[in-house]
Amino acid sequence: MDSLLGRAVGLAEQAGFAVGQLASGATVITAPAAVFKDYLGALLGVGFSMLTDIVGIDYLTYTQKTPARFAVVYRLVSPTPFEGLHVKVFLNDEQSIPTVTDLFGSADFLEREVFDLFGIIFDDHPNLRKILTPEDLDGHALRKDFPLGESPTLFREGRFIDPAAFRAGLTGQDPGLTGFRGGNRRGFSDDRAPLTGRLDQPVNADNGGAK
Amino acid sequence: MNRAPSRSVTPDSGNLESTTFNSGAARGITSADALASGSGLLHTEAMTLNVGPQHPSTHGVLRLVVELEGERVTKVSPVVGYLHSGFEKTMENRTYLQNFTYAPRMDYLHGLAYEFAYALSVEKLVGAVVPPRAQTIRIMLNELNRIASHTVFFASGLLDLGAITPFFYAFRDREAILDLLEMVTGYRMNYGYFRVGGVARDLPEGFEARLREYLGVVDHSVDELRRLFEKNPIFVDRAVGVGVLKPEVALNLGITGANLRASGVDLDFRKAAPYGGYETYDFRAPLGQAGDCFDRFAVRFEEITESAKIIRQALDRLEPGPIKDPNRKISPPPREELETSMEAVIHHFKLFTEGYHPTVGESYVPTESVRGELGCYIVSDGGSMPYRVKWRSPSFVNLQALPVIGVGGLFADLITCIASLDPVLGDVDR
Repeated sequence: MDSLLGRAVGLAEQAGFAVGQLASGATVITAPAAVFKDYLGALLGVGFSMLTDIVGIDYLTYTQKTPARFAVVYRLVSPTPFEGLHVKVFLNDEQSIPTVTDLFGSADFLEREVFDLFGIIFDDHPNLRKILTPEDLDGHALRKDFPLGESPTLFREGRFIDPAAFRAGLTGQDPGLTGFRGGNRRGFSDDRAPLTGRLDQPVNADNGGAK
Repeated sequence: MNRAPSRSVTPDSGNLESTTFNSGAARGITSADALASGSGLLHTEAMTLNVGPQHPSTHGVLRLVVELEGERVTKVSPVVGYLHSGFEKTMENRTYLQNFTYAPRMDYLHGLAYEFAYALSVEKLVGAVVPPRAQTIRIMLNELNRIASHTVFFASGLLDLGAITPFFYAFRDREAILDLLEMVTGYRMNYGYFRVGGVARDLPEGFEARLREYLGVVDHSVDELRRLFEKNPIFVDRAVGVGVLKPEVALNLGITGANLRASGVDLDFRKAAPYGGYETYDFRAPLGQAGDCFDRFAVRFEEITESAKIIRQALDRLEPGPIKDPNRKISPPPREELETSMEAVIHHFKLFTEGYHPTVGESYVPTESVRGELGCYIVSDGGSMPYRVKWRSPSFVNLQALPVIGVGGLFADLITCIASLDPVLGDVDR
């Protein structure tokens, strides 16, 4: 195999990395976190000159057993002749991996995105800041233990439906379907000023609006 | 061009000289100092300027922090995320069918490309077979949508440069396409028309005639548009040689699509890694040479003609036939079957309440969106909802070219550069 992909697979087999396939037929090579960067460098030398994507995956609630909680998948592309392959790196919680921004300029935004959404630290990244989510958002939104952002439905007079409590109420386990904020619940229109005058009568401007 | 250091110009200080001396005095600089300095009477200093996020020329909500030396740009830092809506998280909590509603909403100008990429990726996981007619319809509409997106690119791009007339010509053409897409999908944007294993419904009566009518005028309107920009001396002056992106830099930055092809690199995923039947169509991927803003406009222009060519071929090979995978575990049964077949009712119920369960695995199919490589990396855990959805959105990566091509030119050239990269901020932020 002297195609680009063949050489990449050859390099991987030489180093003892697992070579597999995605369901779509694309080659995916699983490399250990300690040496994957050398491998990416070698691929760059072979002709995979573009890093087009970095995918973060959190396998926390995955039904299959995986070597570690997180995975980072690098997609490398050679434009002419066209070849594409994925390099997958498994990471444990709190484990950081080296940045590849010195090899591929495109890794700048892509690594920031993975950092923002998964909290994976890329060592020596020149500008590792959040990129997509607001600065004041705590946590990393695409981790599987990050709650879905359901917001309570608010009504007048402080009544609100909390989605979690609402679902609990539907099961019959929990009596409370809705909650109240700001004191006791009062009659629906007690605290609203009654309508004065009739809406179909024009307001007389001369006496300040009084009838 | 230099500029006065202070903007506190009083209304009565009419001429430039008096303004300069006034502001110099306010800063403790005597007029003698100002005269002695090399730059003459005017004083320049580095300035940080915030552009956007709410500005018409930023095509949505792109924010740029620009450092200027006089009117020369020395640094550009894009700030994105203002439109982040958590599409990926949302899609992980919806069934595979429901996600067709979300897919086109990211890149709202070329939504069908997102549906296409998503459908292809899921089809690999569930093993769906797309019938020929559905394949042809997909490609036809995808290319129509591509033309519509290009017309918006011209309209808004030239509008940023102060040319308002092309806007009306381009939107007239776009309107014709949106009418066609509305005929088929029911929507002018955010179509939700593709399905795993086919498309949602067949082409309506009279669509082919309307499409042929459009194809009859598209060449003429392209010509009309071409004359509005190619020979326009103001546009040529502002675009030729501006924002040059060298091929090696573009590759390093992961730039794809027309932006890469304008730099002379031949990478079109419709040709390099054909999907959905593109390998059977005769078209070419236009290439630029200089990689400047003019080439990025010109390459997209050529693409309109090529897309029209694909649509003509697709229209000619359109033959009656099924539009969905006949597998009842993936495609819902037709309405009339529900009245006679209990099995059909069960399939219908299961499909719309629970959905289908792809095999455990991961899938990625690269496609060519109007903006570049677009793909959907799906991780399936065997459930009815994708475990992880990752969009490789072209605009997000392409935006990284801006700090490279925008630096060194005038500030006005930066606006040309943004327009020529054709970012869609919904696509950037997802």
